[in-house]
Amino acid sequence: MKQGVLMRFLNETGDITRFAGRFFKEAFKPRYEIGEFLRQCFFIGYKSLPLVAITAFIMGLVITIQSRPTLVEFGAEAWLPKMVSVSLVREIAPVITALICAGKIGSGIGAELGSMKVTEQIDAMEVSGTNPFKYLVATRIMTATLTIPILVVLADAVSLYGGYLGANIRGVVSWDLYWNQVFDTLAFSDVIPSILKTFFFGFAIGTIGCYKGYNSNKGTEGVGRSANSAVVISSLLVFILDLLAVQIIDLLNLT
Amino acid sequence: MITQPEINRPIGQEHDVPVMQLRNVSKSFGTNDVLRDFSFDLNKGENVVVLGKSGSGKSVLIKCIIGLIKPDSGSINVLGKNIPELNNHELDKIRAKVGFLFQSNALYDSMTVRENLEFPLRRHKAKMTKTQIDELVVEALTNVGLAHTIDMRTSELSGGMKKRVALARTLILKPEIILYDEPTTGLDPITGKEISELMRELAKKYNTSAIIISHDLNCVRIVADSIVMLIDGKCYAQGKYEELQTSNDKKIQEFFI
Ligand SMILES: Nc1ncnc2c1ncn2[C@@H]1O[C@H](COP(=O)(O)OP(=O)(O)OP(=O)(O)O)[C@@H](O)[C@H]1O
Ligand SMILES: [Mg+2]
Repeated sequence: MKQGVLMRFLNETGDITRFAGRFFKEAFKPRYEIGEFLRQCFFIGYKSLPLVAITAFIMGLVITIQSRPTLVEFGAEAWLPKMVSVSLVREIAPVITALICAGKIGSGIGAELGSMKVTEQIDAMEVSGTNPFKYLVATRIMTATLTIPILVVLADAVSLYGGYLGANIRGVVSWDLYWNQVFDTLAFSDVIPSILKTFFFGFAIGTIGCYKGYNSNKGTEGVGRSANSAVVISSLLVFILDLLAVQIIDLLNLT
Repeated sequence: MITQPEINRPIGQEHDVPVMQLRNVSKSFGTNDVLRDFSFDLNKGENVVVLGKSGSGKSVLIKCIIGLIKPDSGSINVLGKNIPELNNHELDKIRAKVGFLFQSNALYDSMTVRENLEFPLRRHKAKMTKTQIDELVVEALTNVGLAHTIDMRTSELSGGMKKRVALARTLILKPEIILYDEPTTGLDPITGKEISELMRELAKKYNTSAIIISHDLNCVRIVADSIVMLIDGKCYAQGKYEELQTSNDKKIQEFFI
Protein backbone atom coordinates (compact mmCIF):
# COMPACT_ATOMS: atom_id res chain seq x y z
CA MET A 1 0.00 0.00 0.00
CA LYS A 2 2.54 2.59 -1.10
CA GLN A 3 1.02 5.99 -1.51
CA GLY A 4 2.38 9.04 -3.19
CA VAL A 5 3.58 11.92 -1.08
CA LEU A 6 0.68 14.07 -2.19
CA MET A 7 -1.87 11.40 -1.30
CA ARG A 8 -0.30 10.94 2.11
CA PHE A 9 -0.33 14.68 2.70
CA LEU A 10 -3.97 14.98 1.70
CA ASN A 11 -4.94 11.97 3.80
CA GLU A 12 -3.20 13.35 6.83
CA THR A 13 -4.72 16.78 6.35
CA GLY A 14 -8.14 15.18 6.14
CA ASP A 15 -7.52 13.16 9.28
CA ILE A 16 -6.35 16.19 11.21
CA THR A 17 -9.38 18.18 10.08
CA ARG A 18 -11.67 15.38 11.18
CA PHE A 19 -9.82 15.23 14.50
CA ALA A 20 -10.34 18.97 15.00
CA GLY A 21 -14.00 18.56 14.04
CA ARG A 22 -14.39 15.87 16.67
CA PHE A 23 -13.03 18.32 19.21
CA PHE A 24 -15.82 20.78 18.46
CA LYS A 25 -18.39 18.01 18.55
CA GLU A 26 -17.32 16.52 21.88
CA ALA A 27 -15.69 19.29 23.89
CA PHE A 28 -18.79 21.33 24.57
CA LYS A 29 -21.05 18.52 25.72
CA PRO A 30 -21.10 17.36 29.34
CA ARG A 31 -19.44 15.84 31.20
CA TYR A 32 -16.92 18.64 31.54
CA GLU A 33 -13.48 17.64 32.71
CA ILE A 34 -12.79 20.80 34.72
CA GLY A 35 -10.25 19.24 37.06
CA GLU A 36 -8.09 17.92 34.26
CA PHE A 37 -8.44 21.24 32.40
CA LEU A 38 -7.10 23.19 35.37
CA ARG A 39 -4.29 20.71 35.87
CA GLN A 40 -3.31 21.18 32.23
CA CYS A 41 -3.47 24.97 32.54
CA PHE A 42 -0.90 24.65 35.28
CA PHE A 43 1.36 22.33 33.30
CA ILE A 44 0.96 23.88 29.89
CA GLY A 45 0.57 27.52 30.81
CA TYR A 46 2.27 28.21 34.07
CA LYS A 47 5.27 25.98 33.44
CA SER A 48 5.97 27.65 30.10
CA LEU A 49 6.03 31.07 31.67
CA PRO A 50 9.75 31.38 32.48
CA LEU A 51 10.84 30.13 29.08
CA VAL A 52 8.50 32.49 27.25
CA ALA A 53 9.50 35.43 29.42
CA ILE A 54 13.23 34.92 28.96
CA THR A 55 12.97 34.50 25.20
CA ALA A 56 10.71 37.52 24.85
CA PHE A 57 13.03 39.64 26.94
CA ILE A 58 16.05 38.70 24.85
CA MET A 59 14.21 39.24 21.59
CA GLY A 60 13.12 42.72 22.68
CA LEU A 61 16.62 43.61 23.73
CA VAL A 62 18.30 42.22 20.64
CA ILE A 63 15.87 43.65 18.11
CA THR A 64 16.31 47.10 19.63
CA ILE A 65 20.08 46.91 19.59
CA GLN A 66 20.09 45.65 16.03
CA SER A 67 17.68 48.28 14.73
CA ARG A 68 19.54 51.25 16.14
CA PRO A 69 22.39 51.56 13.58
CA THR A 70 19.99 51.70 10.62
CA LEU A 71 17.86 54.34 12.25
CA VAL A 72 20.93 56.34 13.24
CA GLU A 73 22.00 56.30 9.61
CA PHE A 74 18.77 58.04 8.67
CA GLY A 75 18.99 60.35 11.65
CA ALA A 76 15.80 58.80 12.99
CA GLU A 77 17.11 57.50 16.27
CA ALA A 78 14.19 59.01 18.14
CA TRP A 79 11.91 56.64 16.29
CA LEU A 80 13.51 53.61 17.85
CA PRO A 81 10.75 52.88 20.40
CA LYS A 82 8.08 53.35 17.75
CA MET A 83 9.62 50.95 15.31
CA VAL A 84 10.60 48.36 17.82
CA SER A 85 7.24 48.29 19.55
CA VAL A 86 5.35 47.73 16.32
CA SER A 87 7.51 44.85 15.18
CA LEU A 88 7.56 43.27 18.61
CA VAL A 89 3.86 43.42 19.31
CA ARG A 90 2.65 42.69 15.84
CA GLU A 91 4.93 39.91 14.84
CA ILE A 92 7.88 38.92 16.93
CA ALA A 93 6.31 38.29 20.32
CA PRO A 94 3.35 36.26 18.99
CA VAL A 95 5.38 34.16 16.61
CA ILE A 96 8.30 33.54 18.94
CA THR A 97 5.94 32.60 21.76
CA ALA A 98 4.01 30.29 19.50
CA LEU A 99 7.19 28.63 18.26
CA ILE A 100 8.49 28.14 21.79
CA CYS A 101 5.15 26.65 22.74
CA ALA A 102 5.10 24.45 19.66
CA GLY A 103 8.42 23.07 20.85
CA LYS A 104 7.60 22.76 24.51
CA ILE A 105 3.87 22.10 24.60
CA GLY A 106 3.52 20.34 21.25
CA SER A 107 6.25 17.84 21.97
CA GLY A 108 5.08 17.44 25.56
CA ILE A 109 1.54 16.60 24.57
CA GLY A 110 2.68 14.41 21.68
CA ALA A 111 5.01 12.38 23.86
CA GLU A 112 2.63 12.13 26.80
CA LEU A 113 -0.39 10.99 24.81
CA GLY A 114 1.84 8.84 22.62
CA SER A 115 3.23 6.90 25.54
CA MET A 116 -0.23 6.62 27.07
CA LYS A 117 -1.43 5.19 23.80
CA VAL A 118 1.27 2.56 23.34
CA THR A 119 1.11 1.42 26.97
CA GLU A 120 -2.68 1.03 26.67
CA GLN A 121 -3.38 3.72 29.26
CA ILE A 122 -5.85 5.33 26.88
CA ASP A 123 -7.70 2.02 26.54
CA ALA A 124 -7.63 1.67 30.32
CA MET A 125 -9.32 5.04 30.66
CA GLU A 126 -12.01 4.02 28.25
CA VAL A 127 -12.64 0.84 30.22
CA SER A 128 -12.85 2.95 33.38
CA GLY A 129 -15.90 4.79 32.10
CA THR A 130 -14.04 7.79 30.75
CA ASN A 131 -14.13 9.20 27.27
CA PRO A 132 -10.39 9.57 26.66
CA PHE A 133 -10.97 12.03 23.83
CA LYS A 134 -12.72 14.42 26.17
CA TYR A 135 -10.54 13.75 29.16
CA LEU A 136 -7.16 13.92 27.42
CA VAL A 137 -7.59 15.61 24.06
CA ALA A 138 -10.33 18.17 24.53
CA THR A 139 -8.82 19.51 27.74
CA ARG A 140 -5.38 19.90 26.20
CA ILE A 141 -6.59 21.59 23.03
CA MET A 142 -8.72 23.93 25.10
CA THR A 143 -5.82 24.76 27.39
CA ALA A 144 -3.42 25.44 24.54
CA THR A 145 -5.98 27.64 22.80
CA LEU A 146 -6.61 29.73 25.89
CA THR A 147 -3.18 29.92 27.50
CA ILE A 148 -1.03 30.77 24.50
CA PRO A 149 -2.75 34.16 23.97
CA ILE A 150 -2.15 34.93 27.64
CA LEU A 151 1.49 33.99 27.27
CA VAL A 152 1.69 36.25 24.22
CA VAL A 153 0.34 39.25 26.11
CA LEU A 154 2.96 38.59 28.72
CA ALA A 155 5.63 38.22 26.05
CA ASP A 156 4.52 41.56 24.57
CA ALA A 157 5.08 43.29 27.87
CA VAL A 158 8.38 41.62 28.67
CA SER A 159 9.81 42.15 25.20
CA LEU A 160 8.89 45.85 25.32
CA TYR A 161 10.73 46.07 28.59
CA GLY A 162 13.70 44.40 26.93
CA GLY A 163 13.38 47.05 24.22
CA TYR A 164 13.55 49.77 26.85
CA LEU A 165 16.80 48.39 28.20
CA GLY A 166 18.15 47.96 24.67
CA ALA A 167 17.37 51.56 23.84
CA ASN A 168 19.29 52.69 26.90
CA ILE A 169 22.49 50.84 26.21
CA ARG A 170 23.79 53.34 23.70
CA GLY A 171 21.38 56.21 23.93
CA VAL A 172 19.28 57.66 26.67
CA VAL A 173 15.52 57.26 26.63
CA SER A 174 13.71 57.97 29.82
CA TRP A 175 11.22 55.43 31.15
CA ASP A 176 8.27 57.81 30.66
CA LEU A 177 9.31 58.87 27.20
CA TYR A 178 9.80 55.30 26.08
CA TRP A 179 6.39 54.11 27.19
CA ASN A 180 4.67 57.27 25.94
CA GLN A 181 6.12 56.63 22.52
CA VAL A 182 5.20 52.97 22.62
CA PHE A 183 1.59 53.57 23.55
CA ASP A 184 1.27 56.46 21.11
CA THR A 185 2.39 54.18 18.32
CA LEU A 186 0.44 51.08 19.17
CA ALA A 187 -3.18 51.26 18.08
CA PHE A 188 -5.89 48.74 18.81
CA SER A 189 -5.54 47.65 15.23
CA ASP A 190 -1.99 46.55 16.03
CA VAL A 191 -2.72 44.79 19.26
CA ILE A 192 -6.09 43.12 18.80
CA PRO A 193 -5.50 41.26 15.51
CA SER A 194 -2.08 40.10 16.65
CA ILE A 195 -3.61 38.64 19.80
CA LEU A 196 -6.57 37.17 17.96
CA LYS A 197 -4.32 35.20 15.69
CA THR A 198 -2.60 33.60 18.64
CA PHE A 199 -5.83 31.79 19.56
CA PHE A 200 -5.44 30.02 16.24
CA PHE A 201 -1.78 29.32 16.95
CA GLY A 202 -2.74 27.78 20.26
CA PHE A 203 -5.50 25.72 18.74
CA ALA A 204 -3.17 24.44 16.03
CA ILE A 205 -0.43 23.53 18.50
CA GLY A 206 -2.82 21.73 20.84
CA THR A 207 -4.60 19.91 18.03
CA ILE A 208 -1.47 18.71 16.27
CA GLY A 209 0.18 17.58 19.51
CA CYS A 210 -2.92 15.63 20.52
CA TYR A 211 -3.49 14.21 17.05
CA LYS A 212 0.05 12.93 16.79
CA GLY A 213 0.08 11.48 20.29
CA TYR A 214 -3.40 10.00 20.14
CA ASN A 215 -2.64 8.23 16.88
CA SER A 216 0.80 7.09 17.89
CA ASN A 217 1.95 3.81 16.40
CA LYS A 218 2.90 0.83 18.46
CA GLY A 219 6.17 0.87 20.29
CA THR A 220 8.33 3.43 22.04
CA GLU A 221 9.85 4.43 18.71
CA GLY A 222 6.41 5.66 17.68
CA VAL A 223 6.29 7.93 20.72
CA GLY A 224 9.48 9.73 19.72
CA ARG A 225 8.22 10.09 16.21
CA SER A 226 4.90 11.52 17.41
CA ALA A 227 6.62 14.11 19.57
CA ASN A 228 8.98 15.03 16.79
CA SER A 229 6.42 15.42 14.03
CA ALA A 230 4.10 17.28 16.40
CA VAL A 231 6.78 19.96 16.75
CA VAL A 232 7.62 20.08 13.06
CA ILE A 233 4.05 20.30 11.84
CA SER A 234 2.82 22.73 14.46
CA SER A 235 5.79 25.08 13.93
CA LEU A 236 5.11 25.05 10.23
CA LEU A 237 1.41 25.67 10.85
CA VAL A 238 2.24 28.66 13.02
CA PHE A 239 4.02 30.28 10.09
CA ILE A 240 1.27 29.39 7.64
CA LEU A 241 -1.40 30.77 9.96
CA ASP A 242 0.69 33.88 10.46
CA LEU A 243 0.92 34.39 6.75
CA LEU A 244 -2.84 33.98 6.41
CA ALA A 245 -3.44 36.37 9.28
CA VAL A 246 -1.30 39.04 7.67
CA GLN A 247 -3.18 38.68 4.42
CA ILE A 248 -6.55 38.90 6.10
CA ILE A 249 -5.58 41.91 8.21
CA ASP A 250 -4.26 43.54 5.09
CA LEU A 251 -7.43 42.80 3.13
CA LEU A 252 -9.60 44.22 5.87
CA ASN A 253 -7.48 47.34 5.84
CA LEU A 254 -6.71 47.08 9.51
CA THR A 255 -3.10 48.11 9.01
CA MET B 1 -23.93 2.09 49.51
CA ILE B 2 -21.73 -0.10 47.40
CA THR B 3 -23.48 -3.10 45.99
CA GLN B 4 -21.94 -6.28 47.22
CA PRO B 5 -22.45 -8.94 44.62
CA GLU B 6 -21.81 -11.82 46.99
CA ILE B 7 -24.95 -11.04 49.00
CA ASN B 8 -27.24 -11.58 46.04
CA ARG B 9 -25.42 -14.54 44.63
CA PRO B 10 -24.81 -17.37 47.06
CA ILE B 11 -22.08 -19.69 45.95
CA GLY B 12 -23.15 -22.86 44.24
CA GLN B 13 -26.51 -21.67 43.01
CA GLU B 14 -27.39 -20.43 39.55
CA HIS B 15 -24.63 -22.44 37.97
CA ASP B 16 -24.68 -22.91 34.23
CA VAL B 17 -26.30 -19.55 33.69
CA PRO B 18 -24.31 -17.96 30.88
CA VAL B 19 -23.10 -14.48 31.75
CA MET B 20 -21.42 -14.21 28.39
CA GLN B 21 -22.16 -15.69 25.01
CA LEU B 22 -20.02 -15.19 21.94
CA ARG B 23 -21.47 -16.23 18.59
CA ASN B 24 -19.49 -16.35 15.35
CA VAL B 25 -17.25 -13.45 16.26
CA SER B 26 -14.93 -12.53 13.39
CA LYS B 27 -12.29 -9.85 13.25
CA SER B 28 -9.61 -9.13 10.71
CA PHE B 29 -7.03 -6.39 10.38
CA GLY B 30 -6.56 -5.87 6.66
CA THR B 31 -5.74 -9.29 5.28
CA ASN B 32 -4.89 -10.67 8.71
CA ASP B 33 -7.88 -12.78 9.81
CA VAL B 34 -7.42 -12.90 13.56
CA LEU B 35 -10.76 -14.31 14.71
CA ARG B 36 -12.93 -16.50 12.50
CA ASP B 37 -16.37 -17.44 13.74
CA PHE B 38 -15.30 -17.71 17.34
CA SER B 39 -18.12 -18.98 19.56
CA PHE B 40 -18.01 -19.60 23.27
CA ASP B 41 -20.06 -19.46 26.49
CA LEU B 42 -19.01 -18.37 29.95
CA ASN B 43 -21.17 -19.50 32.85
CA LYS B 44 -21.65 -17.78 36.14
CA GLY B 45 -18.90 -18.57 38.62
CA GLU B 46 -16.75 -20.24 35.99
CA ASN B 47 -13.07 -19.51 35.35
CA VAL B 48 -12.05 -20.23 31.77
CA VAL B 49 -8.50 -20.07 30.57
CA VAL B 50 -7.81 -19.18 26.94
CA LEU B 51 -4.70 -20.83 25.57
CA GLY B 52 -3.19 -19.84 22.26
CA LYS B 53 0.06 -19.02 20.57
CA SER B 54 1.52 -15.55 20.65
CA GLY B 55 -0.28 -13.48 18.06
CA SER B 56 -3.23 -15.86 17.81
CA GLY B 57 -5.65 -13.10 18.82
CA LYS B 58 -6.23 -13.69 22.52
CA SER B 59 -5.89 -10.04 23.42
CA VAL B 60 -8.03 -9.06 20.44
CA LEU B 61 -10.69 -11.47 21.67
CA ILE B 62 -11.05 -9.99 25.13
CA LYS B 63 -10.79 -6.44 23.78
CA CYS B 64 -13.79 -7.25 21.61
CA ILE B 65 -15.61 -8.42 24.72
CA ILE B 66 -15.01 -5.14 26.58
CA GLY B 67 -15.83 -3.09 23.47
CA LEU B 68 -12.37 -1.66 22.80
CA ILE B 69 -12.29 -3.36 19.42
CA LYS B 70 -15.39 -3.71 17.28
CA PRO B 71 -15.70 -7.15 15.70
CA ASP B 72 -16.46 -7.31 11.98
CA SER B 73 -19.37 -9.66 12.59
CA GLY B 74 -20.94 -11.85 15.22
CA SER B 75 -22.61 -11.12 18.52
CA ILE B 76 -21.07 -10.72 21.96
CA ASN B 77 -23.66 -10.97 24.66
CA VAL B 78 -22.42 -9.83 28.07
CA LEU B 79 -24.83 -9.77 31.02
CA GLY B 80 -27.72 -9.67 28.57
CA LYS B 81 -26.43 -6.88 26.33
CA ASN B 82 -24.98 -7.22 22.84
CA ILE B 83 -21.73 -5.28 23.10
CA PRO B 84 -21.19 -4.23 19.45
CA GLU B 85 -24.62 -2.57 19.36
CA LEU B 86 -24.27 -0.48 22.51
CA ASN B 87 -23.68 3.26 22.58
CA ASN B 88 -21.01 4.75 24.82
CA HIS B 89 -23.30 5.34 27.74
CA GLU B 90 -24.61 1.78 27.77
CA LEU B 91 -21.10 0.44 27.31
CA ASP B 92 -19.92 2.34 30.39
CA LYS B 93 -22.67 0.69 32.44
CA ILE B 94 -21.51 -2.78 31.38
CA ARG B 95 -17.87 -1.86 31.88
CA ALA B 96 -18.55 -0.99 35.50
CA LYS B 97 -19.41 -4.67 35.97
CA VAL B 98 -16.57 -6.11 33.91
CA GLY B 99 -12.99 -5.87 35.12
CA PHE B 100 -10.12 -5.84 32.64
CA LEU B 101 -6.48 -6.50 33.46
CA PHE B 102 -4.27 -5.25 30.65
CA GLN B 103 -1.35 -7.29 29.40
CA SER B 104 0.87 -4.23 29.78
CA ASN B 105 -0.76 -3.26 33.12
CA ALA B 106 -1.66 0.16 31.70
CA LEU B 107 -1.11 1.95 35.00
CA TYR B 108 -1.34 5.73 34.64
CA ASP B 109 2.25 6.80 35.04
CA SER B 110 1.41 10.43 35.77
CA MET B 111 -0.47 9.37 38.89
CA THR B 112 0.32 7.76 42.23
CA VAL B 113 -0.86 4.28 43.15
CA ARG B 114 -3.73 5.79 45.12
CA GLU B 115 -4.85 7.96 42.22
CA ASN B 116 -4.66 4.99 39.90
CA LEU B 117 -7.04 3.03 42.07
CA GLU B 118 -9.33 5.99 42.66
CA PHE B 119 -9.72 6.66 38.97
CA PRO B 120 -12.24 3.91 38.10
CA LEU B 121 -14.13 4.56 41.35
CA ARG B 122 -14.52 8.27 40.71
CA ARG B 123 -15.50 7.63 37.13
CA HIS B 124 -17.97 4.81 37.54
CA LYS B 125 -19.35 5.65 40.98
CA ALA B 126 -19.59 9.40 41.10
CA LYS B 127 -21.69 9.40 44.26
CA MET B 128 -19.11 7.82 46.55
CA THR B 129 -17.77 9.86 49.44
CA LYS B 130 -14.09 10.46 50.08
CA THR B 131 -14.00 8.09 53.05
CA GLN B 132 -15.70 5.29 51.13
CA ILE B 133 -13.19 5.68 48.34
CA ASP B 134 -10.26 5.69 50.75
CA GLU B 135 -11.51 2.55 52.45
CA LEU B 136 -11.92 0.71 49.18
CA VAL B 137 -8.48 1.74 47.96
CA VAL B 138 -6.81 0.50 51.11
CA GLU B 139 -8.82 -2.72 51.03
CA ALA B 140 -7.94 -3.41 47.40
CA LEU B 141 -4.26 -2.77 48.00
CA THR B 142 -4.22 -4.92 51.11
CA ASN B 143 -5.77 -7.74 49.09
CA VAL B 144 -2.71 -7.79 46.85
CA GLY B 145 -0.31 -7.20 49.75
CA LEU B 146 0.84 -3.74 48.70
CA ALA B 147 -0.78 -1.40 51.23
CA HIS B 148 2.56 0.30 51.87
CA THR B 149 2.90 1.51 48.26
CA ILE B 150 -0.21 3.67 48.37
CA ASP B 151 1.56 7.00 47.94
CA MET B 152 4.28 5.84 45.58
CA ARG B 153 4.46 6.81 41.93
CA THR B 154 3.82 3.88 39.63
CA SER B 155 7.23 4.38 38.03
CA GLU B 156 8.84 3.49 41.37
CA LEU B 157 7.27 0.03 41.43
CA SER B 158 8.87 -3.19 40.25
CA GLY B 159 7.32 -5.17 37.42
CA GLY B 160 5.60 -7.61 39.74
CA MET B 161 4.33 -4.84 41.98
CA LYS B 162 2.90 -3.06 38.94
CA LYS B 163 1.06 -6.19 37.97
CA ARG B 164 -0.41 -6.49 41.44
CA VAL B 165 -1.45 -2.83 41.55
CA ALA B 166 -3.06 -3.28 38.14
CA LEU B 167 -4.87 -6.30 39.53
CA ALA B 168 -6.07 -4.25 42.50
CA ARG B 169 -7.32 -1.56 40.15
CA THR B 170 -9.18 -4.15 38.10
CA LEU B 171 -10.85 -5.64 41.15
CA ILE B 172 -11.69 -2.45 43.00
CA LEU B 173 -15.11 -2.12 41.39
CA LYS B 174 -15.98 -5.67 42.48
CA PRO B 175 -16.75 -6.74 38.93
CA GLU B 176 -19.01 -9.68 38.13
CA ILE B 177 -16.87 -10.75 35.21
CA ILE B 178 -13.12 -10.34 35.06
CA LEU B 179 -10.97 -10.51 31.95
CA TYR B 180 -7.32 -11.19 32.76
CA ASP B 181 -4.73 -10.71 30.02
CA GLU B 182 -1.66 -12.70 31.10
CA PRO B 183 -1.85 -11.98 34.83
CA THR B 184 1.33 -13.90 35.72
CA THR B 185 3.59 -13.23 32.76
CA GLY B 186 6.88 -11.68 33.78
CA LEU B 187 6.54 -12.65 37.43
CA ASP B 188 8.76 -15.04 39.36
CA PRO B 189 7.16 -18.46 39.98
CA ILE B 190 6.41 -17.71 43.62
CA THR B 191 4.64 -14.40 42.97
CA GLY B 192 2.96 -15.99 39.97
CA LYS B 193 1.58 -18.70 42.18
CA GLU B 194 0.45 -16.14 44.76
CA ILE B 195 -1.40 -14.18 42.11
CA SER B 196 -3.02 -17.33 40.74
CA GLU B 197 -4.19 -18.32 44.18
CA LEU B 198 -5.45 -14.82 44.80
CA MET B 199 -7.49 -15.02 41.61
CA ARG B 200 -8.89 -18.37 42.68
CA GLU B 201 -9.73 -17.00 46.11
CA LEU B 202 -11.46 -13.93 44.75
CA ALA B 203 -13.49 -16.01 42.35
CA LYS B 204 -14.72 -18.15 45.25
CA LYS B 205 -15.30 -15.25 47.62
CA TYR B 206 -17.29 -13.06 45.24
CA ASN B 207 -18.53 -15.80 42.90
CA THR B 208 -17.14 -13.96 39.89
CA SER B 209 -16.69 -15.39 36.44
CA ALA B 210 -13.44 -14.89 34.62
CA ILE B 211 -11.68 -15.31 31.33
CA ILE B 212 -7.98 -15.72 31.85
CA ILE B 213 -5.38 -15.54 29.13
CA SER B 214 -2.24 -17.32 30.16
CA HIS B 215 0.71 -19.35 28.92
CA ASP B 216 1.74 -20.20 32.43
CA LEU B 217 0.71 -23.82 32.98
CA ASN B 218 1.14 -23.51 36.75
CA CYS B 219 -1.33 -20.66 36.76
CA VAL B 220 -3.64 -22.53 34.40
CA ARG B 221 -3.67 -25.56 36.67
CA ILE B 222 -4.61 -23.47 39.69
CA VAL B 223 -7.29 -21.23 38.24
CA ALA B 224 -8.88 -23.07 35.32
CA ASP B 225 -12.29 -24.68 35.60
CA SER B 226 -12.00 -25.31 31.90
CA ILE B 227 -9.69 -24.40 29.04
CA VAL B 228 -10.43 -23.00 25.59
CA MET B 229 -7.88 -23.54 22.85
CA LEU B 230 -7.76 -20.57 20.48
CA ILE B 231 -6.24 -21.94 17.30
CA ASP B 232 -6.67 -20.49 13.80
CA GLY B 233 -9.07 -17.90 15.12
CA LYS B 234 -11.52 -20.52 16.31
CA CYS B 235 -12.49 -22.11 19.56
CA TYR B 236 -10.59 -25.25 18.57
CA ALA B 237 -11.28 -27.29 21.68
CA GLN B 238 -12.67 -26.83 25.15
CA GLY B 239 -12.28 -29.07 28.15
CA LYS B 240 -10.78 -29.65 31.56
CA TYR B 241 -7.02 -29.46 32.09
CA GLU B 242 -6.60 -33.24 32.36
CA GLU B 243 -8.76 -33.91 29.32
CA LEU B 244 -6.78 -31.61 27.08
CA GLN B 245 -3.44 -32.70 28.51
CA THR B 246 -4.11 -36.28 27.49
CA SER B 247 -5.57 -35.35 24.10
CA ASN B 248 -4.12 -37.03 21.02
CA ASP B 249 -4.48 -33.95 18.84
CA LYS B 250 -1.04 -32.63 17.84
CA LYS B 251 -2.09 -28.99 17.93
CA ILE B 252 -3.36 -29.34 21.48
CA GLN B 253 -0.47 -31.44 22.75
CA GLU B 254 2.01 -28.70 21.81
CA PHE B 255 0.79 -26.51 24.64
CA PHE B 256 1.31 -29.07 27.38
CA ILE B 257 4.93 -30.00 26.83
N1 LIG C 1 -4.88 -2.65 16.58
C1 LIG C 1 -4.41 -3.57 15.73
N2 LIG C 1 -4.21 -3.27 14.43
C2 LIG C 1 -3.75 -4.18 13.58
N3 LIG C 1 -3.44 -5.45 13.89
C3 LIG C 1 -3.61 -5.82 15.17
C4 LIG C 1 -4.10 -4.90 16.16
N4 LIG C 1 -4.16 -5.55 17.33
C5 LIG C 1 -3.73 -6.79 17.10
N5 LIG C 1 -3.40 -6.97 15.80
C6 LIG C 1 -2.94 -8.23 15.20
O1 LIG C 1 -3.79 -9.26 15.64
C7 LIG C 1 -3.05 -10.43 15.90
C8 LIG C 1 -3.36 -10.93 17.28
O2 LIG C 1 -2.89 -10.01 18.23
P1 LIG C 1 -3.08 -10.25 19.78
O3 LIG C 1 -2.50 -9.07 20.46
O4 LIG C 1 -4.50 -10.56 20.05
O5 LIG C 1 -2.19 -11.53 20.06
P2 LIG C 1 -2.10 -12.36 21.40
O6 LIG C 1 -2.74 -13.68 21.14
O7 LIG C 1 -2.63 -11.57 22.52
O8 LIG C 1 -0.54 -12.56 21.53
P3 LIG C 1 0.39 -12.45 22.82
O9 LIG C 1 0.31 -13.76 23.53
O10 LIG C 1 1.74 -12.21 22.25
O11 LIG C 1 -0.10 -11.31 23.63
C9 LIG C 1 -1.59 -10.08 15.68
O12 LIG C 1 -1.22 -10.61 14.44
C10 LIG C 1 -1.56 -8.60 15.64
O13 LIG C 1 -0.61 -8.16 14.72
MG1 LIG D 1 -1.87 -10.54 24.08
